[in-house]
Amino acid sequence: MEVLGRGGRIEQAIRRVAIGLTLSAFLGPIVLIVLTSFKTRVAALESSPFALFQPTLTNYVHIFAEYSFAHFAKNSLIASLASTLIALALGSLAAYGLARYRFRGRGGLAYWILSLRMAPAIASVIPLFIMLRQVHLIDNLAGLILVYIGANLPLVIWMMKGFFEDLPVDMEESALIDGASRLGACVRIALPLVAPGLAATAILTFIFTWNEFLFALILTGRNAQTLPVAVTLFVRETGIDWGYMTAAASLMMLPMVICTLFVRRGLTRGLTLGAIK
Amino acid sequence: MQRSTTNPGTTERQRRRDAAGFDMPGVRPLIGLVEPRAALFLLTPAMAALLLLSIFPFVYSLVLSLHRWNLSNRAQGWSFVGLANYVRILTGDPFFWSAMEVTVVFLVVTIALEFVLGLGIAVLVSQETRALGAIQTIIILPMMITPVVVGLIWRFMYNPDRGVINEILGAVGLPGPLWLGSARTGLLSVVIADVWEWTPFMALIMLAALQSLPREPLEAAIVDGASRRQAFVSIVLPLIRPAIMVALLLRGIDAFKTFDLIYVLTQGGPGTSTQVLSLYTYKWGFKFFEMGYAAALAYVMVLIVDLAATFGIRALDRSGNG
Repeated sequence: MEVLGRGGRIEQAIRRVAIGLTLSAFLGPIVLIVLTSFKTRVAALESSPFALFQPTLTNYVHIFAEYSFAHFAKNSLIASLASTLIALALGSLAAYGLARYRFRGRGGLAYWILSLRMAPAIASVIPLFIMLRQVHLIDNLAGLILVYIGANLPLVIWMMKGFFEDLPVDMEESALIDGASRLGACVRIALPLVAPGLAATAILTFIFTWNEFLFALILTGRNAQTLPVAVTLFVRETGIDWGYMTAAASLMMLPMVICTLFVRRGLTRGLTLGAIK
Repeated sequence: MQRSTTNPGTTERQRRRDAAGFDMPGVRPLIGLVEPRAALFLLTPAMAALLLLSIFPFVYSLVLSLHRWNLSNRAQGWSFVGLANYVRILTGDPFFWSAMEVTVVFLVVTIALEFVLGLGIAVLVSQETRALGAIQTIIILPMMITPVVVGLIWRFMYNPDRGVINEILGAVGLPGPLWLGSARTGLLSVVIADVWEWTPFMALIMLAALQSLPREPLEAAIVDGASRRQAFVSIVLPLIRPAIMVALLLRGIDAFKTFDLIYVLTQGGPGTSTQVLSLYTYKWGFKFFEMGYAAALAYVMVLIVDLAATFGIRALDRSGNG
């Protein structure tokens, strides 16, 4: 776009200001929440948001001591990591099959997997709730992980399919001719070459699972509850205690911010399911 | 990915490949051959998981939608009602149509705003060469943080009493509305929060499209004396059209399904002013426990998404981008 010219000095200054305003519009609310989490509950609600305050860690201490933040964080972490890893393993193999082999119904299968990704979550959560209830896996982390594997597979398959298709086929062919098995060609030759893509897919899947709300809301109770649901319960139990709430929100945002720093390159592809690279 | 067989560099490999394909049983080149068994082996685990966790539930839910079944009433089992649930949704349920209206208004307004703002931001940022990475990282933060947290952030800021938004409005002498607390401003408040969360998505995709533009047509136009505005409208926009359509389609489908944000902000209220279809379906399923009716409502949503996706993808294919 620099082809269109970078404009004169005045125009450049205006543009810088506009970019600055845009960035503060996106960053401002996040900063506000983090700052508020260091205020006492009285200061959080009663003083002006712009007033100076004495920072305190009480809110953080309290959400761990009174609201078992660690318990819910552990659930979130286990559910996200386990479902990401399993979906990644199953999905990568399937993606390799779709990318490297020609068979009847291949295109149809790929689009059908894509359509699963687009289906409304509320439609699958109703039958999943009834099914998990039958097998006594409601409010059980294993049940939630199972559901998340199903929800993550389409994304993993589509992202990894794109990464495999970008890979020149020669090296795998050589390996096959030299006597490697098909699985060997996939795991030992192709997989290391798509490692960056694999990492991007893993991070993105982790983010989606960490942020997931509807399944967790319906399929878990206190025992297997994850952070997004737990944090909405803070709201109900205490009226809204903004001190606690913002502390919990800040801690939930932290891993996502870190993930964002690492995933920027694979992000566009992941979010558009490979339509834009 | 199709390799040329006449390329001199690959002749030796080609010869060996052909030889291997014919002479060594079980070893074949990867591309171009029908190999249902190998593909089956790779695809089976994932397909089994999807069968159990996606296909079966959808079939189950379809059957359920033809029944009446209240989960909270233990004595009552499934009773077959045929298409009665669907008939009632379409002809006898004013709340469904009000939810549909809220959903459509929400979808159209948010998508329009997010597209215009996102494109604007992308153009603005793409002319900046320094610190583009850092700028991009900050811009995408709102869509990476948990949607529930986004809802809580905005609830905090909308607070009519000492909330930051009304503080600012008050400082410039404007009266602060009740935001989420009033049926008149409820939907607007939800729209603003959603625009904050998802404009980054549009900006990110538009930026990727702008950065992958070929330089030549633009340079030619500039040399030919086109103004920058003319060049943008007549060259840049048509070139990024496929990306625009992908972004609108994906965002549209997501906006249609919105749940988390509205659940946290208003739970559909005040009244039913922000009750979108997802939330309405949720209430039938998990507040009233009428599973059959909820399943039917969910199926109507599935059908709408499916139609939109089918037409959307077909339109994309026609515009020359798969």
